[in-house]
Amino acid sequence: MRNKKMITSLLAVFILAGILTGCGGNTMTSQKTVEIIAKGFQHDFWKAVKKGADQAGKDLGVKINFVGPEGEGAIAAQVEMINNAINKKPDAICIAALDTTASLDAVNKAKSNNIPVIGFDSGVPGAPEGTIFANASTDNYKAGELAAQKMFEAIQGKLATGNPRIGVVSQEANSQSISMRTQGFLDKMESLIKSTGKSVSIVGHTKFANGVSGGDVTIDIAIPPEINDTQGQTSAQTLLNKDDLIAIYGSNEFAAKAIINADSAISGGRIGNDKVVAVGFDSGALQIDAIRNRKFLGSVTQDPISIGYRAVELAVKAMNGESAEDVDTGSQWYTADNIDSDTIKPLLYQ
Amino acid sequence: MNDILENIKTKGMQKFIALGALILLYAAFSVFGNNFFTVDTLVSIFDASYYIGFLAIGVTFVIITGGIDLSIGTVMMCSAIVGGTLYNNAGLPLWLCLFIIILVGGIFGLANGIMVSRLKLPPFIATLGTMMVASGVGSIVSNVQSTTFPMRSSPDGWYKDIFRTADNFPTGIFVLIAFTVIAVILLNKTVIGRYTFAIGSNKEAARLSGVNVNKWETVVYMISGLFAGLAGIAYAATYTTILPGAGQGFELQAIAGVVVGGTSLSGGVGSVIGTFIGVFIMSVLKIGLPYVDLQPHYQTLITGIVVIGAVLLDIYRSKKEKSVKIKS
Repeated sequence: MRNKKMITSLLAVFILAGILTGCGGNTMTSQKTVEIIAKGFQHDFWKAVKKGADQAGKDLGVKINFVGPEGEGAIAAQVEMINNAINKKPDAICIAALDTTASLDAVNKAKSNNIPVIGFDSGVPGAPEGTIFANASTDNYKAGELAAQKMFEAIQGKLATGNPRIGVVSQEANSQSISMRTQGFLDKMESLIKSTGKSVSIVGHTKFANGVSGGDVTIDIAIPPEINDTQGQTSAQTLLNKDDLIAIYGSNEFAAKAIINADSAISGGRIGNDKVVAVGFDSGALQIDAIRNRKFLGSVTQDPISIGYRAVELAVKAMNGESAEDVDTGSQWYTADNIDSDTIKPLLYQ
Repeated sequence: MNDILENIKTKGMQKFIALGALILLYAAFSVFGNNFFTVDTLVSIFDASYYIGFLAIGVTFVIITGGIDLSIGTVMMCSAIVGGTLYNNAGLPLWLCLFIIILVGGIFGLANGIMVSRLKLPPFIATLGTMMVASGVGSIVSNVQSTTFPMRSSPDGWYKDIFRTADNFPTGIFVLIAFTVIAVILLNKTVIGRYTFAIGSNKEAARLSGVNVNKWETVVYMISGLFAGLAGIAYAATYTTILPGAGQGFELQAIAGVVVGGTSLSGGVGSVIGTFIGVFIMSVLKIGLPYVDLQPHYQTLITGIVVIGAVLLDIYRSKKEKSVKIKS
């Protein structure tokens, strides 16, 4: 009796599976499919990436399936999504990996299934030669350099007096994209200050420190022990409470928000016109507000729409057997003066 | 008044130690920290304590019954997201949205209560499930987008004054104290509190002596949920933007505060004032450690050691108390 039941249910499962696999896959339509796995939708950044990808899908006539895990900490969930995408046998896959090593198996699996993989945003850094077709991403190191250049122009005059300090809030020291933005900023700022004949000490975190003590200018890096608003705000406030601080940089939306929240908790505020020069990265409602109110000198924004568009473009090239190289999707400097311009406005998100 | 004195005599020792540790910590950071001893820093310590404080006070009730509520962190975020989305997308007035935030917290609490008391699910599992459900609901409601509450400059920015005024006066500390007092009265003066302790000491005995355990257990989880809603308002007022899928981990910080404050995870013993002090110990640590120029990984390490130390101290102390009783 029991056996009979089991056999029936097993049969049912098989039939169901048969129907599902029969309908799935892209044998029924001739349109090519691109599976895109983002880092999640938590930040509106990814909405803009999706917008670009959808547009490219329309322009180039391919079907886009855009997915992402719930949060940027959900590494395992993202790996499952990549595996699922491979199992659907699409014509190409675009990946913005949360964690490179965790995604490597999946990337290799795609390779052995002859599905081209395109990296976007931070891509899959460190993936073995030949597994990634090409990347469409912001050159984060260059973007960090841009932030340093603009900040230097604003603080140049203040460098001569005393031993000034420049603060940097970095969300973390592990993620490739954020580390590069911090590193690009540090390297550029160090060389710019050195070109004026002054020495620079970089302190605050072992990964970035340069081992020079007692430099004319100190660059002080604060990284919160956990990625949450309270810890971010505390890190930023520790910097803002130092009297010799003349400028502060937040290397992503989280860090900029931390600076804004920390500043609002200080009587009178520390950042803004004629005070501590603040420079941010990306956008978001709070940061846009701070730039409009000239609390922030300006911020560097990536071009998320172009990231999405270029990724799909590369995917189409890959499935057509063309060759391609990595694309730098670029970054832009924006301030209160050009925030509403046609070139900047579409790149910002609330 | 007599009650308070009595309280100090019987359970006072523990709170004294906790309070002493808090003052010592604050003094130590003031001496060794670079610019730590300022009003602004104190206001930040308050800022970091409001939402964790509400979470911790609410979950204190649950822990005294011998249960646990792991859902409070994501319930806090979820209720704030629901309120914020209704404000931004449905155009409801802000006061109504704030009320709904508390209500949503209460509903999650009710669900936890029913699962634990009527459906007999272990609290750990039931609230673990709710933790995920709340995280998912928040993402669904907000369409996985961050929710921004009105900024101070906007006409609806008044709600920020509940916790900090424009000229940086920490009004929130009075709000937190007010709710602490309410919770103390609930726990020590009302039937809710009596049954909370009764259930925690011995559930079966409570049931046999005619306590409607199902009902009161549900009420206790609802209190925890309502406080999580309050925490949601505090979080929104302090940090303005709420990310969906966030909130996990805050429940453990709150529970750490409760335990540091001397409430026993095995139930039957606990105090709201202890929790209040415990939360501030955690916040002073969190805000203070960066001021002594410690790198982030050391900060986490030290916080962990403090939690373990506090619990060890508590176990050692209660063991000693018991052994004295046997001898006499």
